[in-house]
Amino acid sequence: MDNGMESMLDTYLFETNSLLDRLDEMLVADEKLGDLSVDDVNEIFRIMHTIKGSSAMMEFGSLASISHHIEDLFFYIRENGIDTMDPAHKKELFNLMFRSEDYLRGQVEKVENGEPVDTDMDSFAAEINGYLKKISGAGEGPAAAPPAPAKEDTGKPAEPAAPSALPSSLPDDEKAVSFLHVFLEEGVGMENLRAFMIVNALKECGLELRYYPENMEMNSETCSTIIEDGFYIAFEDMGSANKASDVLQTQNHIHSYELVDVAALKAQAQAEAQAAEEASAAPKQAQETAPASSPEKPAQKPAAAPPKQAPNAPVKQNLISVNLMKLNSLMDIVGEIVITESMVTSSPELNQLHRDAYDNFMKSARQLRKLTDDLQDIAMSLRMVPISGVFQKMTRIVRDMKQKLGKDVRLTLVGEDTEVDKTIVDSIQDPIMHMVRNAVDHGIEENVQDRLDAGKDPQGEVILSASHTSSEVIISITDDGAGMDPDKLLAKARDKGILTKPESEYTKKEALGLVMLPGFSTNQAVTEFSGRGVGMDVVKKNVEAVGGVVALTSELGQGTTFTMKIPLTLAIMDGMKVTVGDSIFTIPIANIRQSFKVTADEIIRDENGNEMVERMDSFYPVIRLHQFYNIETQITDPADGILMWVEASDRSFCLFVDELIGEQQVVVKPLPAFLNCFELKNYGITGCTILGDGNISIILDILSLHAAALENV
Amino acid sequence: MAEPMNNETNIDVLEMPDGDESSTVERCLTFESGDLILYISTKHVIEIINNYPITSLPLMPPYIKGIINLRGQILPVVDIRLRMGKEAAEYTDNTCVIVLDIDSVSLGIVVDSVRQVIDIDLQNVKPIPLKRQQKLLDGMVTMEDGSVFMSVDCQALASPQL
Repeated sequence: MDNGMESMLDTYLFETNSLLDRLDEMLVADEKLGDLSVDDVNEIFRIMHTIKGSSAMMEFGSLASISHHIEDLFFYIRENGIDTMDPAHKKELFNLMFRSEDYLRGQVEKVENGEPVDTDMDSFAAEINGYLKKISGAGEGPAAAPPAPAKEDTGKPAEPAAPSALPSSLPDDEKAVSFLHVFLEEGVGMENLRAFMIVNALKECGLELRYYPENMEMNSETCSTIIEDGFYIAFEDMGSANKASDVLQTQNHIHSYELVDVAALKAQAQAEAQAAEEASAAPKQAQETAPASSPEKPAQKPAAAPPKQAPNAPVKQNLISVNLMKLNSLMDIVGEIVITESMVTSSPELNQLHRDAYDNFMKSARQLRKLTDDLQDIAMSLRMVPISGVFQKMTRIVRDMKQKLGKDVRLTLVGEDTEVDKTIVDSIQDPIMHMVRNAVDHGIEENVQDRLDAGKDPQGEVILSASHTSSEVIISITDDGAGMDPDKLLAKARDKGILTKPESEYTKKEALGLVMLPGFSTNQAVTEFSGRGVGMDVVKKNVEAVGGVVALTSELGQGTTFTMKIPLTLAIMDGMKVTVGDSIFTIPIANIRQSFKVTADEIIRDENGNEMVERMDSFYPVIRLHQFYNIETQITDPADGILMWVEASDRSFCLFVDELIGEQQVVVKPLPAFLNCFELKNYGITGCTILGDGNISIILDILSLHAAALENV
Repeated sequence: MAEPMNNETNIDVLEMPDGDESSTVERCLTFESGDLILYISTKHVIEIINNYPITSLPLMPPYIKGIINLRGQILPVVDIRLRMGKEAAEYTDNTCVIVLDIDSVSLGIVVDSVRQVIDIDLQNVKPIPLKRQQKLLDGMVTMEDGSVFMSVDCQALASPQL
């Protein structure tokens, strides 16, 4: 039972997260166009509906409630058509939706961490409702017919026949040019005081106004009038009326309001008299809205409408989600099949077969080999996912930063469909995010003028690109900003006391490398986005953890490029097999520079007896693997064994091993969890692999081997 | 029947079918290691294998013999003799690896030989009346023929000692 709930929760989280990802993708793409397509409105509605349903089922109240409110909002938008909204509202809609998405994500995160979800989401819900009210208020104008049914569907029954009673109930105010007719939310209580507070808020904005019923703050009897007919705010000029309607958008408890133009009403009355027989629907339209605002709307419609169909039509993907565990066991079994197959085909009993029979057998065996090879390829490709998911998140981050920092930056994505092993995608997301933030925050110039002076496009550009080589994926983050000044970096590093040699001895590359040291942050002030001094060194550590390297180039005034090189997959790698005593070790080919033989007298010792060897005019330390791992072997004379010159990151040294067996592509398996407490990872052993003959080979990690053998002396 | 070792109410064992949760009778695999006859509940036993090549790992305490490749699964192998602090013995044809699954920790244990599966009434199991440093065994039971079997503490087995 408990298990069932667990897996349901898993499914729920997976589903909700992917829906939110989809939402994010749509919002970011649509915001660029400044418009939502009809398809996207439908999709968002559907997404919210699904989240609402499943959250309610899982009893996550806040998620269900907020998604319910957004669903209401989009129901309204869907019914009325997105085209009826004016650009300002749309812009606000995007902001609201991004915030809602963040809120929902925050709640989902709480669920993931096993924390209780928020119980108090009323303020946010009210905000969504407020927005809905605002657009339903403003939207009624040009499209008179739809709002009525829409209002009912927002879950809050509309005020009965609000607009129809107008002309007669207008307060008698000769000087007023326009009125704001305001309806409060149903059932808020103390309507007269709330109305008065709204009036006060308007007065605080310095607006000249009168309000009706006049004595509503004193007389609680006006409550019923306000509930039924709303209240009126009178203005003597159109400008302040429009300003006031803006202020009203920020007020709470307003169900709807409309601007009533007295002049237009009078004109309307005349028109009505002239065309009395047609007086059914048309006059109402005019009454409900101010002529001042309505003409712009039809004008915008055609402008906003065309781009909506073209991009981002939702493509149905033929995807299913599979537990990673299942893929891992599939890989295991495929590996077994390959090994078993070679056991069968190389079996000595085959030699006793008759010649023809043997030929037949081998023919079938070759076919089997081909099939198992295919199977292995497919099984390995299953773990590969496109990196676009990570990139998509960056668009969102850049968008948020753009708004907060007020910098004009565009993010260009290149090679989003590059495929990377799932485990790697998960571990490089944070480093990429950090570097993108850095690029926008520190890289791009603070002032647009600086960019113009340098003859650059006023809009900054950050390029995030991914590409493949045969064995690694290369991700680079390039900005066309100010670039880094090696001298400034050196001065800063000197202040922080993290220089390790005289300043003058630093090359430009080394000076740039200072950025990656712990405790180095070039920004004087800590911002929300970067500058905590735990930036680049963490990035470097994370990337190294998945076997990658980070490099940095920067030209002052031209911009900066960070390049990450990461092995395509952690699960499969090219390795060189070597023996030490009875043990077989696998050294990643990527780490090997050279293998060579030396005689005993080529080995040089320091005063502690540590061994070194000269290679290409430099001396490199020698680690005898049999000594370091206490393995018994016959081969202790350097002349009998072989030296492997290896390097990882910036460490370079030689390993002394017995014999080199050969190269092989291996599937990396972690060591059993049972052995975790021995911390073999800190002693240069990252995992193991099963060789073709069923034996196990131990995979070495050159970097931690170096740390264990040479740095902790 | 011998006196019950725990405070549970006395249950008539004969009425309890095998495998029932409330039964105090447990199916156990008995095996020999370093002159002792040990047993472990069959619910932990996955299989028994022999003649498997064990790959030794460097920097490990002696009782961890290394790892084996059991059809693609990598298992750590613990020598029960050495784990109990006894002398190492040469591996023979009788030496087997019992593959165990203890709360989803998989491991193999090297034993001198495997005997058989028997039913042991847990109510007859008594604590070992000695203070010991290595608490790998957590109980003993006398069989009808007078031989004494010792119970292996699975939790102790599954948590390696440095």
